[in-house]
Amino acid sequence: MTPNRGRWLQVALLSAAFVVLVAISLASIYWLNRARDDAAWVAHTLEVENNISLALLQIRRAESAERGYLLTEKNEFLDEFELAASTILPQLRTLQQQTKDNAEQQRALTEIFTLAQSRLDQFRQVLELGKERKVNQAAEMLRVNAGRETMNRIRELALEMRRIEQRLFRERTIAAERSQSLAAAVTTSGAWLVVILATISIALLRRSAKARDEAEAKLLDANLNLESIVTERTADLREANEEIQRFAYIVSHDLRSPLVNIMGFTSELEELRHDIFRRIETLSRDPATAPMPETADSDSDPQLSDTDQKLSQDFSEALGFIKSSIGKMDRLITAILALNREGRREFRPVRIDTRELIEGIVSTVAHQAAEANAQIRVEPLPEIVSDRLALEQIFSNLIDNALKYLKAGVPGDIAIRGREKLGFAIFEIQDNGRGIDPKDHQRIFELFRRAGPQDRPGQGIGLAHVRALVRRLGGTMSVASTLGSGSTFTITLPTKWLATSRDTAA
Amino acid sequence: MSKPVTIIMIEDDEGHARLIERNIRRSGVNNEIVPFTNGTAALDYLFGSNGIGHLHKDRPLLILLDLNLPDMSGIDILRRVKENDHLKCSPVVVLTTTDDAHEIKRCYELGCNVYITKPVNYESFANAIRQLGLFFSVIQVPQAVA
Repeated sequence: MTPNRGRWLQVALLSAAFVVLVAISLASIYWLNRARDDAAWVAHTLEVENNISLALLQIRRAESAERGYLLTEKNEFLDEFELAASTILPQLRTLQQQTKDNAEQQRALTEIFTLAQSRLDQFRQVLELGKERKVNQAAEMLRVNAGRETMNRIRELALEMRRIEQRLFRERTIAAERSQSLAAAVTTSGAWLVVILATISIALLRRSAKARDEAEAKLLDANLNLESIVTERTADLREANEEIQRFAYIVSHDLRSPLVNIMGFTSELEELRHDIFRRIETLSRDPATAPMPETADSDSDPQLSDTDQKLSQDFSEALGFIKSSIGKMDRLITAILALNREGRREFRPVRIDTRELIEGIVSTVAHQAAEANAQIRVEPLPEIVSDRLALEQIFSNLIDNALKYLKAGVPGDIAIRGREKLGFAIFEIQDNGRGIDPKDHQRIFELFRRAGPQDRPGQGIGLAHVRALVRRLGGTMSVASTLGSGSTFTITLPTKWLATSRDTAA
Repeated sequence: MSKPVTIIMIEDDEGHARLIERNIRRSGVNNEIVPFTNGTAALDYLFGSNGIGHLHKDRPLLILLDLNLPDMSGIDILRRVKENDHLKCSPVVVLTTTDDAHEIKRCYELGCNVYITKPVNYESFANAIRQLGLFFSVIQVPQAVA
């Protein structure tokens, strides 16, 4: 599984869990509300039933009070009757209110209501008769039994109503139970769903955590590997470098040996030339007129004919070229050997006040500077830890160059500046000399290469040497210059060079 | 009268050998010069087949030694000569192209008597050899110890 897909799956799962949770909450709320409503309806049904019973009871109470009065003529029964009669109608009205939703019950109630009213009217007539002492008439009324029918009808109706209510009660109880069990089911299943989603999420999280740990371990491995590779490469490089050093040393040495011969036998040839031309002179002279003159002045130049003179000159010229070339080759080999020796010298890092060091160099070139009509300004420079001899060679080469390649007729102005930045000291040697063509900026750092008019002595070694030293000291150098307007050499050196850092610079 | 000194010249470059010989002769030194172009032959001559080196017990020797030989380093020859009871008093002149300070120091430590770097410039070279020849003509060399 790609990490991206895993992340998306996790997000999707969490969102799903959230949605499920919300849905379950809403469903629960809904079903609980439903259950509460159903329960309320159940209670309502019970109340209606109760009220029906109460209403019946009151009618009966009124009836028995009426009879009691007729029998005893006691006023407590009258009071009793009034109390009962006054509650009947309100009771029925309450019932009417409560069963508003049920047309059947309403119809029954309306009938009960009229019946109850007529019954109450009958009661009152009987009671009036009783009050006026027309007991017979009252008894007659009772005997007519009209009230009994009304009463039976009321009872029937009430019974019917209660039956309806009981049926409703049963229905509503079932509904309430169903709502409750549904609510419970929804909540439980929701809880399970949430648990399952959480488990999956945790599993996914653990898997991604594991993947991350593995990746971390791999990264660590790779880092270690990289380090060992770097160490290995550094060792290889150092070895290669040492091999090149040895190679340069051996080659230059072995080149020197034949050179000694070439030079030696060329000189021997020169000697021979002298002898040969003397013999030519002797032979070409008339032997009769010249009796052995060579014994008289063997060291003087032989007297030669024009042709022989020409030969002698050609001979000398050829030998001259050979000798000058050998001299040049010897100087180059000597330079390579000197560079090689420098390259193999062990550096010793010490704390150096570079300003003091450079002022020392400046004082040794004061005479040259005065001759060249140049001034050298040394500005405050940072202290660094480096190899003293190497620094001396670097700066004296650069200052020498600045003095050497000034513009004719312009007073020289050489400035040496320095600053520190991020653990490196940056030095600038600026002059107002003849400058260097940008196309030569790389070339001047190469061994035996020079740029510009070749009117000054030199072999093209200085800057190559300086750059090699700067590199060995763990630094870099560059030049900024345009032809005719001076040059600035910039050297960046670590402020704290340690002998071990040579490994990386090598 | 002591016997004339024999000069043993161990030099692999025949050109150099020739130039050295010529210039020594020019300085008026006429001693016998025995040239060798490799270390093995020179060692055979110096120490004999048994390696004891008593062959030359009655002859004063002077050894002219180049360090860069095809079959061994001149330093090995120098060490063996200076470790040998019969030869250790013979002067050894190292004449070589090597101008490495380490090598020079090592040679003197091993008992070399003179160390000369061959100058490429022929004038200097010839001069050096001639002066060496003059030096040879006045130097007192002991006979090899019996």
